[in-house]
Amino acid sequence: MTFWIAVVAGGVLTYLTRSIPLAMTLRGTAPAAARRYLDALPIAIIAALAGAGTAVPDGGPTGGAEVGAVIVAVAIGAWRRNLLFAVIAGVVNVAALRALGL
Amino acid sequence: MTPARAALAEGWPLLLTSVVIGIPYGVIAREAGLSVVETSAMSVIVFAGATQFAAVELLRSGAGAPVVALTILLINARHLLMAAALRPFVGGASLVRRLGLAYILTDEAFAMGIGHFRRGHRDLSYYTVFGISLWCCWNAGTLAGAVFGAGVTDPSRFGIDFAITASFAAIVAIGVRHRADAIVALAAALVAAALRLGGASAVAVVAGRRPRAARGVRAP
Repeated sequence: MTFWIAVVAGGVLTYLTRSIPLAMTLRGTAPAAARRYLDALPIAIIAALAGAGTAVPDGGPTGGAEVGAVIVAVAIGAWRRNLLFAVIAGVVNVAALRALGL
Repeated sequence: MTPARAALAEGWPLLLTSVVIGIPYGVIAREAGLSVVETSAMSVIVFAGATQFAAVELLRSGAGAPVVALTILLINARHLLMAAALRPFVGGASLVRRLGLAYILTDEAFAMGIGHFRRGHRDLSYYTVFGISLWCCWNAGTLAGAVFGAGVTDPSRFGIDFAITASFAAIVAIGVRHRADAIVALAAALVAAALRLGGASAVAVVAGRRPRAARGVRAP
């Protein structure tokens, strides 16, 4: 019973975090500062996820392989503007650097 | 290429990764004493990767329902910010559709969707198709792990586990439009990395990135 209470309650709470901002509609225009903040938010969130995933890829601090690979992924992304290409380059590089013992 | 096809063509590394990480989740949940139905139910009801690993750990250690539910809420609180950031792009959709889009909101779907929007697209099919595909892959991986058990794969082999982080980094690199974006992105990444190295959870990563990243940067 503990399981179902925990999961249903956790699931409902999670859905609220996902749905409340999407369900709301605010009238009028936001102040300039709020708009600048909301404008910067998406890139900041994704960059933070990338930064956290690079620093601690799997429960422990990175040995350097992830740092090298993320630099390659960013460089290829900025250069070729191709998501798939950049991701594959990142994955191949992290595998190679880990094989080297980083 | 239609947006729906582009979502699959560009998103398949992430989709593959969600299968590959869903499998160990299924294995670990079964080892912690959950049934196949319970293991899959969590993937359907909560649908949040890292959170589910944490919930299974807590359940295994005998934590009560309130502790587990609140932990799930804390780790997932970052969705509030993502949903707020997504809101301007779903303006035209009906309430019912927005409530559906909310269910498939994950870090991955958010990043892919925002990447699409920042390239100037306004359709919702890219985000929708990717989000539903991710849901299918995550639940397929969960079920496979729960049913077939241990010894399937170790995601860190071949670097597959890194596909998620590499995708986030590449989406940022492609989505940066001017210098202010780059400064915000770099600050957010470094602050989040430092907090994560300091042992902070995803909650602190969300809370910590905000002020330093957004303040003092003026859009040109």
